[in-house]
Amino acid sequence: MEKVVTGNYAASWGARLSRVQVIAAYPITPQTSIIELLANFCADGELDARFIKVESEHSAMAACIGASATGARAFTATSGQGLLLMHELIHWAAGARLPIVMGVVNRAVGPGWNVWTDQNDTLSQRDTGWLQYYCEANQEVLDTVIQAYKVAERVLLPVMVILDAFVLSHTSEAVDIPDQDKVDGFLPPYRPELKLDINDPHAFGPIVTPEHYMEMRYKMQKAMEEAVSVVQEVDEEFGEVFGRHYGLVEPYRLEGADVALVTSATITSTTREVVDELREQGVKVGLLKVRLFRPFPAEAVRQALADIPKVAVIDRNISFGHGGIFAQEVKSAFYNPSTSRRGEPFDKLRTGFVEPSGHRIDGAHRPPIFGFIAGLGGRDVTPESIKEVINAALGNDAPPEEILWIGVKK
Amino acid sequence: MKGAIDFMEEEAKIIIFKSEAEMPPMAATLATTLYNKTGSWRYMRPLYVDKTPPCNDACPAGEDIVGYLGLIRQGRYREGWELIMQENPFPGVCGRVCPHPCESQCNRIELGGAIAIHVQERFLADWAYERGLRDLKGLKGIPSDPLDPSVPSVAIIGSGPAGLSCAYQLARKGYPVTVFEAQDKPGGMMRLIPEYRLPREILGYEIAAIESLGVEIRTGVRLGKDLSLDDLKDYKAILLAVGQSVSRKLGVSGEEATGVLHGIEFLRRLDQGEKPSLGSKVAVIGGGNTAMDAGRSARRLGAEVSILYRRSRHEMPASDEEIEEALEEGIQIEYLVAPVEVLTKKGQVSGLKCTRMQLGEPDESGRRRPVPVSGSEYTIKVDTVIPALGQVADLSFLEKDIKTEREYIVVDDSGATTRLPIFAGGDVATGYGTVTHAVGSGKRAALAIDHLLRGETLEGFPPLDRNVHAVPRDMAAIVVSFGDLNLVYFEEEPRPRQAQAPAKERVKDFTEVNRGFDEEIAIAEAARCFSCGTCNQCDNCLIFCPDLAVLRDGEKPYVFNYDYCKGCGICFTECPRRAISFEEEIKWKK
Repeated sequence: MEKVVTGNYAASWGARLSRVQVIAAYPITPQTSIIELLANFCADGELDARFIKVESEHSAMAACIGASATGARAFTATSGQGLLLMHELIHWAAGARLPIVMGVVNRAVGPGWNVWTDQNDTLSQRDTGWLQYYCEANQEVLDTVIQAYKVAERVLLPVMVILDAFVLSHTSEAVDIPDQDKVDGFLPPYRPELKLDINDPHAFGPIVTPEHYMEMRYKMQKAMEEAVSVVQEVDEEFGEVFGRHYGLVEPYRLEGADVALVTSATITSTTREVVDELREQGVKVGLLKVRLFRPFPAEAVRQALADIPKVAVIDRNISFGHGGIFAQEVKSAFYNPSTSRRGEPFDKLRTGFVEPSGHRIDGAHRPPIFGFIAGLGGRDVTPESIKEVINAALGNDAPPEEILWIGVKK
Repeated sequence: MKGAIDFMEEEAKIIIFKSEAEMPPMAATLATTLYNKTGSWRYMRPLYVDKTPPCNDACPAGEDIVGYLGLIRQGRYREGWELIMQENPFPGVCGRVCPHPCESQCNRIELGGAIAIHVQERFLADWAYERGLRDLKGLKGIPSDPLDPSVPSVAIIGSGPAGLSCAYQLARKGYPVTVFEAQDKPGGMMRLIPEYRLPREILGYEIAAIESLGVEIRTGVRLGKDLSLDDLKDYKAILLAVGQSVSRKLGVSGEEATGVLHGIEFLRRLDQGEKPSLGSKVAVIGGGNTAMDAGRSARRLGAEVSILYRRSRHEMPASDEEIEEALEEGIQIEYLVAPVEVLTKKGQVSGLKCTRMQLGEPDESGRRRPVPVSGSEYTIKVDTVIPALGQVADLSFLEKDIKTEREYIVVDDSGATTRLPIFAGGDVATGYGTVTHAVGSGKRAALAIDHLLRGETLEGFPPLDRNVHAVPRDMAAIVVSFGDLNLVYFEEEPRPRQAQAPAKERVKDFTEVNRGFDEEIAIAEAARCFSCGTCNQCDNCLIFCPDLAVLRDGEKPYVFNYDYCKGCGICFTECPRRAISFEEEIKWKK
C-alpha cells in the first residue's frame, strides 16, 4: 500500500509494522508527530501496544528500559534537548544490552534555541553503545525502523534511526507501506534468553566490580563489531523480501571520480543532484552516502574510496576543538588500514622491535580529506554550497585549513 | 529470625568468571535473587490505617457517616440504614432536624460545598420506612433469645431522644427497660418539632421500632408527682433524661396576660391537634430554633408574624436554613429589638412596647451583650406574643445528694450523677439542645450502665463533648483535614439541594417542606464524598505500586506484600484520602 506520509509518520508506521509492544515518549518538536500517530494507532486498536505517557525523556527511556528488560519490544522517539536529557539512560539501555529502537529527529542544540536540523544532538551520543542510522528519505526511515529491530535483537544493542528535522520529519513523500504479513515474516517476535520475570527473579544492573566490568565493555564492543556484518545481512535480507536495500554506505557515480563527496542524511539527496549535473558537464565527481554511523563501517568506506584522489566530507555538526565528526571518522578509517597479520601475543615483555606495517611502509592509499562544515542549525545546504565544496576540493592539493566553513558570514 | 544478611552469608556464592565468554551479555545475576527480597531495602513502611473523617468526628450521635455514604454510593441502602441504626435509632428524625455539625466540618466545603449528609441520612431512613423495616430483631447486636429473667432491669425517666436512645442500646444488649414519660405520648421534645419539619408518622415509626425490642414506655407518669425515685428501687440503674420543660420568662410587665403563649406550649398544643387562635398579628420573641418553629407554625395558622431578636443575625442560634426558610415564608425578622412591656386591654394582649438594642462587650457566652438604646422605645400592635427564650429543667423532684449546677444535673464522663446507680443524660445534663446530642448522651449512659451492671469500671469514657460508639470501629482517632487529602484526585463539584415545596404553597398547611433526595441524586452525592481517611477501594495504591507489592486478599481490601515493598511511599502519596500511613521501618523491627 502506498501512502503519502511525512518522515515522522514513516517512523510511526515502521514501529507499528514492527509490532512494538510498549511506547513511552515525551513530546518535543520536531519529533512529536511520531508518537502522536502511534498514540492514535493504540487508541484506535490498530496497534496492540501499551502507550506510556511520561513526564520527561529521561522517564521515557527508563520506561523503555523496563519494558525491554521484560522482553517487550519497546519504542520511543525524541529530538535535540530531549535526547540530551535522556543521556544517562541512553548509556544504561546499551549497557543493559536492550534492543530498544528510538526514532530521533535531528534538531540543533540550544542555545540559541533552534528547532531546525543539525546532527550535534545524536553525534554527542556516539560513544554510548547505540547503533546509529542516518536516513535520507521517508521510505528509508520506515524500512530502517523494521531493520533496526532485527539487528538490535540479534546483537543486543539499541538503535537510533535518525532523520532530519523538517526536511524529512515534516515533508511528505510517497511511501510504500509493506503488508503486515510480510513484515511479520521478516521480523519474528523478540524472545530474549534472560529477562525480567517475576517467576524467575534475577538482579539486573547490579554492581559489577573491576573483576568483570572490563569484560562487559569488551563484549559490547564485540557486539558492535559484529553489528557491521549483521546490519549488512539484515539489509540484504530485507532487499530480498521487500525489493529495497540501502547498504552500510551507498557509493554513487564514484567511477573515475577526482573528488568524492561524503555525506549523510538529506544533504545526500541534494548532492546526488549536483553530482548528476556536474557529471553532465564533464566534472569527475562522485558521492558516498554514509548510512550507518555506529558502528562506523570503516572497511566499507575505505573500499568505496580506494581509488579516489580526493575526499570532501560535509558535516552538519561540529566537535568543538576538532571539526566535523564524519570527517574525523573518515580520516580515522584511513589510518591503520589493515590489521597485523602476525597476531603476536602481547602478555610478555619483548625486547626486539617489529617494524610497523602501514604508515610509510605499506604505501597504502591515503587521499587528502577535506572537512567541510555546512548547514548548522537548519541553514539550507543548497546546490550552490555543494558546488563550493567541490570547487574547494578540486582546486587545492590539500586542505588549506583543518575546517572549511561553507556559508559563514565573515 | 533470619535476616537477609544471614542468608547472603550462607547461600550467596561469589562467582568469578574465567572468561568473558562465560559471562551473560548484560549485568545480571545468573542465580536467583529470592534469598534477598527487595523488601529488605525498605526503611519506611506503608500501612493501611483508616483514620477518622471530620464528619464522623463531629457527629454528636457518633454515626459512621463516611461508612454509610460509601454504602449509598454502592446502592447498599439496607446496610447503610443498619450502619446508622447501630449508633442512632432516629435517622428519620435526625436526617430532618439535626443542625448537622458534621457538614460544618466536611472537607468538601472547600470544593463545591459540604456533602448534604443530613439529606443522605434521611434518604436511608426513608428507604427503610418505605419498606417497613420496623422489626429491628435482625439487626446486628440484637439478641434473638428470650430475655433471661435474672438480667437486671433499668428505668429511664423521659422518652425524649436521650431516654429512648439509652433504652434502645440497653435493649439491644438484652436488658429489660422501662421508660416513664410524663406526657401522653412518647418522644419528648421531638414531639414539639412542627409537622412540616418532622412528619409524625416518621417519629412514630422510629419509636415503634424501639418498642419492638421489648422496651416498655409508660406514658402519663411524671416523676415527682406520680412517681418518686424511691419507687424505682427495684431497678438496678436509672437514667434521668427529663429534658428542659420550663420556659424562660420574658421578665416584663403584662406577660401574664391572655395572648402570651410560650413557644413550647404553643408547639405542644399543635402536636395534640389543637389550632390555637392567635389573632392576625403575632410577635415571637427569641432567636433559636424554637422561635423559628413557633413563628413558622403561626404563619401556617394564617397570622402575620414578626420574630424579634435582641442581638444581630450573626449571634442568632437558629440554623441558617431555618432563618432562610422563615424569610421565604414571609416572616419578618427584626434584629436588635427587645420587648420592655406587654401592652394589654382588659387582660388581653393588645401590643408590645419594644426598645432598640445595640451590641456591647461580649458576655460569658462569648456573644456580644445587647444593651438598650435609650429613648428608642416604640410600640407595635400584636394579638399574640410567643416568648421562645429557651427552657430550663424542672429539678424539683431531685434529692439533695444528686448534685446540680445552674439548673443542670452534674454528671461525669460516663453520665453518672453523684448518686449511683443514677445517671443523667440529654438536655437536663448537657444542655446541647439538639436531638442528635441527646441521642449520643443517651447512648453514653447506656454503655455506662452496661459497664456498671457488669461490675466494670466507669472510667475511660471520652469527655462529654466527644462522641461515643456503640459498635467499636477500626479507625484511628486522628482526624483527616483538607490538607491531608491528595487534591489532584478531586474536582470542584457543587452540592445538590433537596427539593422543597414553594413557600407560597407550604404556608397553607403543615405538609413537610423538604422532599429529600431521589436515588440518583443520593448516589451522585455519595460519590462526591472524599471518604476522608477511609479506604473506599479506589485501587490507586494497587495501580501505582511499582513493585506490585499491593495485593488483594479475601478479608481486607488490600494488603502489602512486605517481601517486595521497598517503602518508596508512592501508595501513601497517591492515596487520595490518607487511608495509608507511612512510618519508619525501625518501629516495626524487633
